[in-house]
Amino acid sequence: MFSRRQLLVLPLLFAVRRARAFGEQARLQFAQVRHGGRWDPRPDGLSRLAWEISKRTSIETTPVVKPMGLADPDLFRYPFAVLSSDGGFPAPADNEVAELRRYLSYGGFLLFDDASAQRGGAFEQSARLLVSRVVPGAQLLRIPREHVLYKSFYLLDGPTGRVAATPDLEGLELGGRIGILYSGNDLVGALARDSLGAWEFEVTPGGELQREKSIRLGVNLAMYALCLDYKEDQVHIPFIMKRRRI
Amino acid sequence: MLALAITALLAAVWLSFRGFRSEPAGARRMALLAFRCAAAVLLFILILEPGLELRSESRVRARIALLLDTSRSMKFPASPSGPSRAEELQHWFEAHKPDLAKLAARFQIDVYGFDRELQPLDLSRLGADPQGPATDLLGALGGAALAGTGGRPLAGLILASDGADNAELSEGVSPAAAAELRKLGAPVFALPLGAQALKDLAVEKIAVDDFAFVRNQVTVDVVVTARGFGATDVPVILKREGQVVAQKTVHLDGSHSRYDVKLSFVPDRTGKFAFTASVPVYEGEALTQNNQRSFVLKVIRDRVRVLLVVGRPSWDVRFLRQLLKKDPNVDLISFFILRTPGDDPHSSQEELSLIPFPTQEIFQEQLKTFDLVIFQNFNHRPYHMSQYLDGIAAYVRDGGAFAMIGGDQSFSAGDYAGTPIEEILPVTLLPPGPTAVDETLAQLKLSDAGRRHPVTELAAGAGNETAWTRLPKLPGLNTTGPLKGGAQTLLSSGEGRPVLVVGEAGRGRVLALLTDSSWYWSFVAAGEQQGPRAYETFWHSAIRWLVRDPALTPMRVASERPSFEPAGEPPALDVQVRGSDYGAAAGAQISVVTSSAEDPLPHPAGTAVAGPDGSARVLLPQLPPGAYKATVTARRPDGTPVGEAEDAFVVAPSSREMIEAAPRPDLLQAIAAATKGRLIEPGESLGSLPFRDPERVEVGQRTSKPLWDNWKVLALLCLVVGMEWTLRRRWGYA
Repeated sequence: MFSRRQLLVLPLLFAVRRARAFGEQARLQFAQVRHGGRWDPRPDGLSRLAWEISKRTSIETTPVVKPMGLADPDLFRYPFAVLSSDGGFPAPADNEVAELRRYLSYGGFLLFDDASAQRGGAFEQSARLLVSRVVPGAQLLRIPREHVLYKSFYLLDGPTGRVAATPDLEGLELGGRIGILYSGNDLVGALARDSLGAWEFEVTPGGELQREKSIRLGVNLAMYALCLDYKEDQVHIPFIMKRRRI
Repeated sequence: MLALAITALLAAVWLSFRGFRSEPAGARRMALLAFRCAAAVLLFILILEPGLELRSESRVRARIALLLDTSRSMKFPASPSGPSRAEELQHWFEAHKPDLAKLAARFQIDVYGFDRELQPLDLSRLGADPQGPATDLLGALGGAALAGTGGRPLAGLILASDGADNAELSEGVSPAAAAELRKLGAPVFALPLGAQALKDLAVEKIAVDDFAFVRNQVTVDVVVTARGFGATDVPVILKREGQVVAQKTVHLDGSHSRYDVKLSFVPDRTGKFAFTASVPVYEGEALTQNNQRSFVLKVIRDRVRVLLVVGRPSWDVRFLRQLLKKDPNVDLISFFILRTPGDDPHSSQEELSLIPFPTQEIFQEQLKTFDLVIFQNFNHRPYHMSQYLDGIAAYVRDGGAFAMIGGDQSFSAGDYAGTPIEEILPVTLLPPGPTAVDETLAQLKLSDAGRRHPVTELAAGAGNETAWTRLPKLPGLNTTGPLKGGAQTLLSSGEGRPVLVVGEAGRGRVLALLTDSSWYWSFVAAGEQQGPRAYETFWHSAIRWLVRDPALTPMRVASERPSFEPAGEPPALDVQVRGSDYGAAAGAQISVVTSSAEDPLPHPAGTAVAGPDGSARVLLPQLPPGAYKATVTARRPDGTPVGEAEDAFVVAPSSREMIEAAPRPDLLQAIAAATKGRLIEPGESLGSLPFRDPERVEVGQRTSKPLWDNWKVLALLCLVVGMEWTLRRRWGYA
């Protein structure tokens, strides 16, 4: 029968089907990377993010999250992958690293979300090690506040999450776009709800306002993954500059 | 030398005189001195051998070079509606025959014809139809002067010309040219022909690149020459096939003859066009043919300007945008609907980066600036766009390009049935409803037309079909009604559902891609170890075909040259006929009509039959000067149309001789002044011209006769010396 998590997702599934589905694959559906560690620390967070995206924007989403291994050929049907844990994770095998390299170089997007939200913690070390194996010699760099990521839908002034452990997002550009993004504030954790629909974690130090900002950041990430630098087209600039000044 | 010898002799006499200066008897002294002087003189005579030279001499006549202009510009009228300049020269020659006869008594008259070259001319053959291809006044004068070197001296040169030089003196007499003229060593007397027709306005020169970029400003440099005009304003107009594209007024100040005018315009479509720059024809002008000049300009794209309108962000949208943004040949303008009226962003508008959808600006004001409009899973209804759909359809029919990409808001599902957009689509649409989409997996299959069509050419030969069938199955397709006439299905599903359909609407092209998952051919294919090449190749080819990239045009026509001589070889067109399926249309009947800016009505100009490879050459009749557009249509032997293509060409003289043909008495005056000559007044007698008349004596025979070169002088010398010696001995001198 259905697990508790699947039962939670069912109403979301109906909620987002406001248009007649035309190819489920056209919708935004998150892939959750399965690894040797605790790969699903926030079981409902991504589904909730998918639901929020669908309610707030024109993006069609599928709330069911696809758990995938890095070497799974079907990973290429889900260009937005999330790799998360609340601790370190074993280094993937070489063939998995090679597939991840292909995935990213052909257009895939990988979000590292540190559920432990510990700067320099085990997850961060594992993530940085994996990045250095996927793109030898490369390292994650701070994403400047002017980046389109902070204005792809909402006008944001910085990253947030369940906690405020790090002031910046980090990322790695591949082919002119961010291919790998690292969030150290447990972004998905801010969105997670329990089986009764209550927020699963308290958000600190900003409370509900910070949670709202976390949702907005999640929406912006999805919008960036699907639209890239659309908001940097010339036509948008005067509007955005005016609103930034307000 | 002679003076030295004489001095030596006098010194010897003086020295010898000193020996008997003390002689008291004056008679003796004088006798000895006389003998010694006589001996010295005789010795001098013997040494110098004096003689007589007898010469036979005659006085030589100097020569006059008569240079007559035989260039083609002499065919132009000497005065408005009057005889030609060549005829005016003939009349002058007839009237001055007595003058020339009188001159011939004083001088030798050498007659030359000149144009680009100098050659002797028989005056009896002076014609009224000169054919010289150019005019080189300085070369002719120099050649005529050199012809007399070592012979008769040059008394002067008579230059009969219109002065329309198109060689070294075309810009006037420069200091270097003046120095060359002075080296002639004789005055030039110039007879200006056509001087009564001094008034002339001409488009002398046009400088423009061979090609221009659409929507980028083009500047045409026009040189206007005006002679015989006072201060006035003259409009200079640039037309493309009869339509004014630029205009500027140039102020003639009466003191200059050349004016540079820059005409700028922005070409709004690609193709090959004939342009004409012109100035008005004023009353009394010497020439009206040179008041306009035509040229052909090829307008190409620097970048394809694409408008991408997206109903909602999706992976299909993202991969297409990424492809188009990376393409340096594409200028992408995109509008994504990021929020629908039903979405609740939980924020104020000021917290969002969203902008209003500028429908009026892009679909009314800017529409024609785009080469291609793409609707990607976009439903027009929520945005009140019905008022713009007519304009979009008209834009396509007028030569634009349109692509619709599938999705749950597209084609029938996008409620386009019955709209102007359906009229231009290659497929018919169904009312929106549950049958508007079909989510059955679709295995790609290349159609017969798809095997030949450039849009679906992923690989050469049989490999193309394999390349398509290997691609991942599509997760669903939009459903449509029957195809329209002329539409071609290039890709279909295994069961025959159309996936990719192309067609034409008016002069525009349309593509219908009935899926929202073409990104599968990129990312998903990459996951299946195929890479994204198929996706990239398909979209690049589709865009090139949609915007009529010349390399992907099925029917082509190209004139043999961009410009043809008015009376030269007739214009020729090379035609390549292929059907819309890109197969060679062997045996197609080709017909050509021409039209020009002056006469926009099409006139039949030639026919031909396409060979087995679909090619043919059509020779057109000789056409008068002008800018022409040739429209070529082809029909199959059964009468069904194959296609139509256009090209532009110009019929105009390429020689400056026929363009820069206005009379230039000012130049002739300057030449005469540089050589201390002058212009010959109308009716002036040639005998009154101040020719140089240098004395010149020619030696015919020369003989020399020695005077005292004989033995008697020697004997006399011996006698005088002996007598002097004898007397000296007798008188007691040593």
